Formats: sequence, structure tokens, C-alpha cells
Amino acid sequence: MLAILKREFLSYFKSPVGYVAIALFSFLSGFIFVMSFGNAYSNITSEIIRLCGFFVVLVPIVTMGLLADDKRRGTDVIYYTSPIKLTAVVLGKFLAAVGLFVVMFINIVVHMIVTKAYGGVIDASVFTAVVIYFSIVLLYVSIGLFASSISDSQIVAAIVAFVFIMIIQLLPTIGSFVSSAVTSLLSILGNPSSATLNSVSQKIINIFVWLDPNERIDTTSLGIFNLVSVFYCLSFAFFFLFLTYRMLEKKRWTQS
Amino acid sequence: MIEIKNLVKRYGKKLAVNGISFTVNKGEVLGFLGPNGAGKSTTMNIITGYLSSTSGSVVINGHDILEEPELAKKSIGYLPELPPLYLDMTVIEYLDFMCDIKGVSKKDRAPQLARIMSLVKIVDVGDRLIKNLSKGYKQRVGIAQAMIGNPEILILDEPTVGLDPNQIREIRKLIRHLAQNHTIIISSHILSEIQAVCDRVVIINKGKVAAIDTIGDLSTRLNEAKKILVAFKGDEKLVCNLLRAIPGVENVYLRESRSADIKQVEVSVMSENDVRSSIFYTMAKANSPILEMRELDASLEEIFLSITKEA
Repeated sequence: MLAILKREFLSYFKSPVGYVAIALFSFLSGFIFVMSFGNAYSNITSEIIRLCGFFVVLVPIVTMGLLADDKRRGTDVIYYTSPIKLTAVVLGKFLAAVGLFVVMFINIVVHMIVTKAYGGVIDASVFTAVVIYFSIVLLYVSIGLFASSISDSQIVAAIVAFVFIMIIQLLPTIGSFVSSAVTSLLSILGNPSSATLNSVSQKIINIFVWLDPNERIDTTSLGIFNLVSVFYCLSFAFFFLFLTYRMLEKKRWTQS
Repeated sequence: MIEIKNLVKRYGKKLAVNGISFTVNKGEVLGFLGPNGAGKSTTMNIITGYLSSTSGSVVINGHDILEEPELAKKSIGYLPELPPLYLDMTVIEYLDFMCDIKGVSKKDRAPQLARIMSLVKIVDVGDRLIKNLSKGYKQRVGIAQAMIGNPEILILDEPTVGLDPNQIREIRKLIRHLAQNHTIIISSHILSEIQAVCDRVVIINKGKVAAIDTIGDLSTRLNEAKKILVAFKGDEKLVCNLLRAIPGVENVYLRESRSADIKQVEVSVMSENDVRSSIFYTMAKANSPILEMRELDASLEEIFLSITKEA
């Protein structure tokens, strides 16, 4: 697994992909930081939370080639015919992409140091945000890795990852859309009281809000550390890694 | 060493491999022949564990490829049709990576890499990026990759495809050298290649084994009647009639020849008779000098054509 992790991680720096992703992240984080710092104000927590919004673009760039490129070039043969386990392949590639986000995180560390040096506040809420940052990275990278396993085209992998992450980002909007659709359907079918309609609509929205990891991040800006959110992200990441493993395994049984 | 029993691979409704069985003995070089789409690559992919069979078993050194995949794969080195190379790595980086993947210990690594690299002659390109290498060198790096971990069995899928004649000769030489202490399976549709390096051939057609034999036995089995080619100067009708009169000669066919004065005939003879001296005296009497006379051996190409047509 370490061999695959090392190879994948170093390969980010042999093509423009790694540099583009890091440059983009540095620019965005730097921009957000400078905008508030210029006004003699720094809020690392809100910087991190805003950056997580850009993962919808960053993660697909980083993950699109992980498995798709192997399939296109025929190098996936190595993993199937060598005495290593496919779980090691999945984990190695996953951690390589996560590693790139660790490198990007250096930007934020620098911002923290600058903030502290100028007498800014680095409190518990910042560390909660850091934990959330990495939880979200694990979740989104696992989605990107899965997207990369379903096709041998990097473009398709990037688009699928983008759409999946976009859906997650838009969960509250989708929730209110679904709830209004359901309530109007209910009022056509019968004649329920407005109290019932309200409670149904609220319940549906709650379900979607519960599913939305970003909603969970928002509580951290209040400085609340919520272990449930971390566990939520990790279990989803585990689920997508498992799906990725099954996709690789499936290849043995279908036409190559 | 390798035991393949009743291998079946089904892709939806299409039956790619239909009950293939054969064994490969230790130290043998086995040629794997078949027209395109016969199931060669599918069979090789199943042997190496890249694909799973629908039914049937592959046992390598006593380890079933599905039940003990790690142990079975440890004794196989595989060069697929398209060598699995990471183009963004240098040759050394890539081979080092393959050592990690195949679990070669740090201690054995340096001597093993040095030995393999000098054997396949890639020492002088060690620091170059694989994407900048020529096709022949890429193929050699592919073979080097298969040899890492000292597997006893090498499986090479079309190892010389797309190489120039010089490179083909070098790769063949290398294969013959490797044959001294490896069991090798080579697939190819270049028949002269199989003829040059293999002890035995398995011919498959439409997913089934059409023939398994040594090359010599295959050709005698096919060629009960021997053929002799005679090139001469003189009147072809007269010569044909004279040759037909020789006892033991079954038939004489005139061949199309390239120049007007040199004619060629094919004389078919029952295999136990040697009529070459009779032909010489007959032709001498007819004042038709013989320019060339040789026995025509059934080439693998003919065997192949006739077997794949039969099936």
C-alpha cells in the first residue's frame, strides 16, 4: 500500500495536476485570508468553511486520474496480477489524494501563524474547523475515487465527481424542492390541514439537512465540536471506498 | 507446474473460452497460438489472475489462482500485450516500484535489479523517463518488470509485436536465454517466432484447444506425403511425364515460376521412399539441369491454417 501511496503522490508532481490544484487552493485561501486581513480582521474558521465550498472543483481535479488513467493505459494489470490486495490499491490511491490536501493545508497553517503573530484569535473553533476540513476531504476524495473507478476517461470521472459533490452541496435546496413537491401532491390528493402539511414539509427538509455535511460544518463556526459529524463523514467515506473496491473487483468478471 | 482444467469464460452470451485444458511442465517453453479472437489473451488473463473464469480451475505450483491468489501470483511474471508501464517514471523508479509491489526485500533488491537490467540490456537507459524510450526498450522494461521477484513462470503475450527485425531477434535471443531456468508461455500469431523458441505448441481456435503437440510431431501428423521442390531448366511437359514415371512418385505439380527459363515442380512422394537420386538421374538423361532441389517441410503456418480451418 505504501508503494502505491508513494507512487501516486509523487506522480501529482510529475504532471501539472498537483501544481494546478495547489496553486488554485493557495490562490483561493490567500484571497479569502487577505480580504479579511486587510480589514484588520481574521477568521480562520470561516476561511476553512468557505474553502470547503471550492472542493466541488478541487476534488475532481485531484481524483479524476487515480484509477481512470490506470485503466486507460493498461497499468491496472499490475494490481490484478501482483501478489497485493485490491484493498491496498484503493487505500494507497485514496491516501495519496488526501496527502495532496494535507499539502494544501500548509497554506492555512501559515495563515494561522500570521494571525497569531498579529494578535488574532486562534481558539477551539479553529481546531474544530480543522477536524471538519479533513473529514470533508476524506468524504469528497472517496467520492472522487469512486467516480474515477467507473470509467476509463478522466473527463467522465471528473464530471461524475463534480455532480456527486454538487448534489451534496445543494442538499438543502434539493430538500426544500422535494418537500414542496410532496406537500403540493398531498394537497391535491386529499385535504390535509395546514398544520400537517407544515410538519411534513419540515420533516422532509430536516432529512436533507441531516444528510448535508455542510450544515454540520456550520455548527462548528459556533465552536461546537460535533463528533457525530466526523463519524458521519467517515462512514460515508468508508462506504464509497467499499464501492470503489467492489468496482475494481467487478472488472475481473466483466469484459475488459 | 501449471494445470489448467476445463476453463470456461463467458461474456454475457458470448463464450470466449470453452473448456480449455492443458498442462505446462517445469522448464518448458510453450507456444500459445490462435487466430485473433480465439481466446488467447483471455486464457492468459485468467492464468495470471487478471480475469476470473466462469468455471474451471487454474493451479499454479499447487496453488489455485482463486483460492490462494497471492501465493499463485508470486510465481508468475506477466507481460501483457500492452506493457503496463508508468510513462512518467524513470526506468529505475518504475522497477523499484514493481519491487515494492511484488514484495522484494530491500536487501535483495539492488543485486536483483542489477542482474535483470543487464540481462535485458537496459542499464544505460536506467535514468531516462519511460515515455522517452523507443518501443523496443519499452518492451524490454516490460520483460524486466515481469522478471522481478524471480518468478518461476513467465507469461509473455505477443512479446515481439510492433518491433523491428533487429529488436525481434534480440527479444527472441533473450527468451531462449530465459528458457534455461524459467517455464515460459508465449502467445503469438507470428508462427516463425513460436517455431524458433518453443518446445510445444497449443493451438486454440474459437475458444477450444485444436491441437497440443511438439512442432515436429504436428508436422509429421499432418504430412503423411512428403513433398520435394525441383527447379530446373528445360521442357516442363517432358520433365513432368518423366518424373511421374519414377516409382514411388505419387504426383507432380507444376509451380508458377518467376522467370521464363527456370521452371519449378512439386513432386509428392510416399514418405518412406527417397527418390531424390532417381530424380537426379532422370533429369540428367533428359538434359534438364537441376538448379535447386529440397524437401518441403510442412511449416507451422500450414499446420496452423489446416487445423484452424478444420475446426
